[in-house]
Amino acid sequence: MKPLDWAVMFAWLVFLVSYGLWRGRGSGSTQEFMLANKTMPWYAMGLSIMATQASAITFISTTAQAYVDGMRFVQFYFGLPLAMVILCATAVPIFHRAKVYTAYEYLEYRFDAKTRLLVTIVFLISRGLQAGLALSAPAIVLSVILGWPFRVTILIMGGLVVLYTTLGGIKAVTWADVQQMGMIMLALVLAFAVAIKMLPKDVSFFDALKLAGAAGKLNAVTTTFDWNDRYNIWSGLIGGMFLALAYFGTDQSQVQRYLTGKSIGQSRLGLILTAVAKVPMQFFILFIGAMVFVAFLFVRPPLVFQPVAMERVQASPQYAALERRYEQAFDQRQAAARAIMASAPGALQNFREAQTNLDAARADALHLSDTNDTNYIFMSFVTRYLPIGVVGLVVGVIFTAAMSAISGEINSLATVTVIDIYKRHLKKHSSDSHYLAASRVATVFWGIYAMVFASTATGFGALIEAVNQVGSLFYGGMLGVFVLAFFVKRCTSTGAFIGVLAGEAAIFATAQFTDAFLWYNVVGCLVTVAVGSLVSVSYRGSSAAFSEPCR
Amino acid sequence: MNEPQHTVADEPPPFLGTWKRLYILVVVYLACVIGLFYWFTKAFAPSSPI
Repeated sequence: MKPLDWAVMFAWLVFLVSYGLWRGRGSGSTQEFMLANKTMPWYAMGLSIMATQASAITFISTTAQAYVDGMRFVQFYFGLPLAMVILCATAVPIFHRAKVYTAYEYLEYRFDAKTRLLVTIVFLISRGLQAGLALSAPAIVLSVILGWPFRVTILIMGGLVVLYTTLGGIKAVTWADVQQMGMIMLALVLAFAVAIKMLPKDVSFFDALKLAGAAGKLNAVTTTFDWNDRYNIWSGLIGGMFLALAYFGTDQSQVQRYLTGKSIGQSRLGLILTAVAKVPMQFFILFIGAMVFVAFLFVRPPLVFQPVAMERVQASPQYAALERRYEQAFDQRQAAARAIMASAPGALQNFREAQTNLDAARADALHLSDTNDTNYIFMSFVTRYLPIGVVGLVVGVIFTAAMSAISGEINSLATVTVIDIYKRHLKKHSSDSHYLAASRVATVFWGIYAMVFASTATGFGALIEAVNQVGSLFYGGMLGVFVLAFFVKRCTSTGAFIGVLAGEAAIFATAQFTDAFLWYNVVGCLVTVAVGSLVSVSYRGSSAAFSEPCR
Repeated sequence: MNEPQHTVADEPPPFLGTWKRLYILVVVYLACVIGLFYWFTKAFAPSSPI
């Protein structure tokens, strides 16, 4: 990065943190710190929900996913609008009318303290793991791009998040997200424009589409059903809907956003905005990855995208031979691409052969450097081809995208810790200022936890992926217990409690047979509801074991 | 059941009159978006004649 890029990046960071602090000023009560005094307009909630979800991992990996695997990942989001409609009609009015701070608080109203505690613990475990991941995964990539030590990157990122989240609470988080979302869209449009501008003059936009299609990158919809295929229209619509229902309906990091709404209507509109904007936005991000692939048909990309790994390959004795193979395959692929544009016979076959040769050369180089460079494809494109100044802006936006996701997570973790554990079980009757102070301490605690977890996760590349999947193991049971609470009027507290345990057991059993994790949510939810209902019918126990929750 | 009963004002959506109509619009919109993506996939599929 050039000095202007550094200046732009730091200016953006300083602006975002200052803006968050300014908007979050005066958070002098728990109601303000956790729920922004219920003053948030619909567009701020909607944009904040999208910004929290569009973490740096999404930004870096989604484009790379299209580059490598095509656009089929967009189907993952097909169930989201349906889930939003269901939540608007059910969870939003129920939570608003119950006047709760957390989703789990409602479970005590409906069932009992032990069910609330069980789901609270499940949330703290799964979201705690993901907060560490949300910090470590982008920090690994950014530390290489920026040339900073990994732990310094984590410290800067995590430190800034803790600063504005501790001082400004949910207001700071939400308003910083609004700015962040606007800048994400600007950065994406700029990256797209540069990818198109990189195309030679004789290659039109339609040619680019034709080439991306020929390479299998525009596979947005797959209608074939396969249990083991993670992304097809069925897993997206059904599994994706259950996942979105669980994420937006039971995960406090999202529920807290729409609890800040001025009214039920404002919260509903915030979710509707997400429902309408999310799928096209993800399509656009993936489309950028496909266009970067086309641009690299005519501009030779590096043999290895990860700069440090590339240095290792260059130092090896096999480098010269590998580079020659790669060069040859690139030229062959470019010639085949031009033949495809001219609709020449056999062009597609030649293209595939060239792509196979090119992939083989890259695979050998990656084997030499013992690395996987998929997450560096987009960053390599940004730092090499975007204009000076814009590079700093895009890298800064990715930096703050990571911060945005983490801030929402530690804010929700702190809220649940204080409301569902500390205030409910440890110190029931104290002043509001005491709980506000406890919330700030909890925010600092979870911030430090995320930083420590992230900094020790460096040596566990495969484990990071494994832990990410572990996160998806918990949602089905959580969704199931809320379905029981909302829709099964005769469900008892004992039924709900046993139902959650059975749902989680079913998810872990399913995970032994398939890694298509979208289905875990369906299985977990259905088993929780079925077992919870059955137990309630056969054992009508202590649904009245209610003691008024301490607020 | 021990749900607290609080009165929280609900209001109609800014357009279409009722929330139900707005939800139907979102579902129809999703169907159109998926239909468009399906056409896009088919139109540029590798098996299409080149």
